[in-house]
Amino acid sequence: MPLFVAGLSHRNAPVALREQLAVDEDKLRELLVDLQASDVLREVVVLSTCNRVEVYGVAEAPGEARALAFRALCRHRGVDLGTVEPLLYTHLDADAVRHAFRVSASLDSMMIGEPQILGQVKDAFALAQACEAVGPHLHPLFSQAFNVAKRVRTETEIARHAVSVSFAAVELAKKIFDGLGGRAVLLVGAGKMSELAAKHLVEQGAFPIYVANRTWARALELARALAGTAVPWDELPTALAAVDIVVTSTGATEPVVTRAAVMRVMHGRRGRPLFFIDIAVPRDVEAGVDGLDDVYRYDIDDLKQVVDANLRERAREAQRAESLVDREVGKFLARQGDAEVIPTIVSLRARLEEIRLGEVKKTLARLPEVTPETRAAIDALSSAMVNKILHAPITKLRESSRAGASRSWLELVHELFGLGRRS
Amino acid sequence: MQPILINAALIGYVGATGLALAYLVQRHDLVHRLTVLCALAGWAAHTVALILRAVELGAPPLGTLPDAISVGVWGIVLLEVLIEQRTGVRVLGAFVLPVVVVLSLKVTGAPARTLAPALASAWIWIHIALAMVGIAAFVFNFAGAIMYLLQERQLKTKRPGAFYYRLPALQTLDRLTFRTLALGFPFLTTGLVLGAMWARVAWGSAFTFDPLAFFSLVAWVIYAGTLAGRAAAGWHGRRAAYFSIFGFVALVVTLGAGLFLPGRHGS
Repeated sequence: MPLFVAGLSHRNAPVALREQLAVDEDKLRELLVDLQASDVLREVVVLSTCNRVEVYGVAEAPGEARALAFRALCRHRGVDLGTVEPLLYTHLDADAVRHAFRVSASLDSMMIGEPQILGQVKDAFALAQACEAVGPHLHPLFSQAFNVAKRVRTETEIARHAVSVSFAAVELAKKIFDGLGGRAVLLVGAGKMSELAAKHLVEQGAFPIYVANRTWARALELARALAGTAVPWDELPTALAAVDIVVTSTGATEPVVTRAAVMRVMHGRRGRPLFFIDIAVPRDVEAGVDGLDDVYRYDIDDLKQVVDANLRERAREAQRAESLVDREVGKFLARQGDAEVIPTIVSLRARLEEIRLGEVKKTLARLPEVTPETRAAIDALSSAMVNKILHAPITKLRESSRAGASRSWLELVHELFGLGRRS
Repeated sequence: MQPILINAALIGYVGATGLALAYLVQRHDLVHRLTVLCALAGWAAHTVALILRAVELGAPPLGTLPDAISVGVWGIVLLEVLIEQRTGVRVLGAFVLPVVVVLSLKVTGAPARTLAPALASAWIWIHIALAMVGIAAFVFNFAGAIMYLLQERQLKTKRPGAFYYRLPALQTLDRLTFRTLALGFPFLTTGLVLGAMWARVAWGSAFTFDPLAFFSLVAWVIYAGTLAGRAAAGWHGRRAAYFSIFGFVALVVTLGAGLFLPGRHGS
């Protein structure tokens, strides 16, 4: 029974169309029930996210099933099938398996390695299961897809390195400090982005948080939001001495943290590093502090550079993930293929053994005085012939199953040897 | 049999070094697993070789400098694998194993010899054993210092490369170099003092010139200075790392002097 996936994604369809086609859970349930009711689709899972709409199905006639599914989908969403049809891609059998694995493992995502997609695929699968739309083909496929996704996450680093400026800053802090627990953070200025960076730092255990702002009221407000302490603007130099990480984002046109001020506080710190995350443009921290020992300063451009490096690192890891997926597809097909051809091989052997035993019996009945040796020889001869004859077809069946093309061969064997209809 | 095993061990260590360096570039689980496998295979051969040596000598194989270094290397490889397992710093091998190979080079094929009767005493074994523990600690001290400098460079230049992703945090590395220094120094000191005391008993003078003794004193002074700087003057980070490297260079020269120059430790 052919397995297929048909759909469209961020790779080929514009966002306007994707959002028009996206279906919420209730509608999806209806759709699954409708599709199940038709005889065309034996099993079906519909995946609908903001980046892709895909139908995974099992059907005798995948083309027909695809048309049916998307006709129903377009009707539900009031979209013209004519605009959707040319954008649809379809993958069959081995390619469909690969696609399911790649999507679950976040290799086909817009941002490679993003973690949401696996949850979305799991939800889609659970919904289809609840609607009893999943059977012996899609169940192993998706179970294995989840395993593969997990392996990709743990064995490669496609999801490791930060792809946003604020997370990249947190990762940098982790490469400087031996853990972020109990590291004091000072926010200078009160931009949205610095607030976000501060939140990420707090999530990693950074504590306490100080906020300095030219406007005292604003400092108090932000300090309250972050469960921190407001620091008067004049005490900025003193505050520098006490903290580990400084996030700056003022609108000042002149640097608010000078090299001289940093130099003064570094003496008393006894080698404790000081990390400046300067998100302000123009910059708040004098670039000259780079020359000081134990001081690390990253401005917005530096952070973007780090993000770029992280993206390159993710892309390198994605190549490793692709080869992992390739291997898993091969293993999955071999398992599935064996499961598909083994019943036929068993009944083929049984059929020929039945013929052999019948003929041996007849022959022996016609020869009244045979010695046990002759009897054994006849038995051996007939067995050898049956095995020789079976060798080629069985080998061919196994090969075809590994190549994912066993269907026509199975039909042929059933026809040729009169094994009856395949279930 | 022993030379074959020692050579097998060296081949294992060289292979592990190559793989560990490859792992820096090509971060593949398989490469790391092979590194550990290679190192352990070499280590297993090394273990058997040392046991055979001990049986042959009827004493711990510490009587000659190459033998003592061989035992030191054996301990370092074991520690390297264990520390990697414990801390998850999988790149440690790339910094420790090359040193292991350099130290192993002279070990192969040295003739088996036990101590001259004049030297045989329990103190001499303790002297040698303590010095070796100290050296093992300083190998890790050196590795930590190199890793610190690399990571610091990456963070200062703001261009994250392979080392940025692979190496641990600066503070972690600085702590590693401090701890290994604090651990190795007492061993080295006691080893040197026992050596001097023994020299007095055996040769009547604690301070007759011997190349190994001279250079080990140089190394000791550097390490003592680094430790004092760290403890009293707040030295840390880059400066402490540079001094750790100087100290280790002196230590390598010490062993080289012992191996290649005539003297009382001579081979």
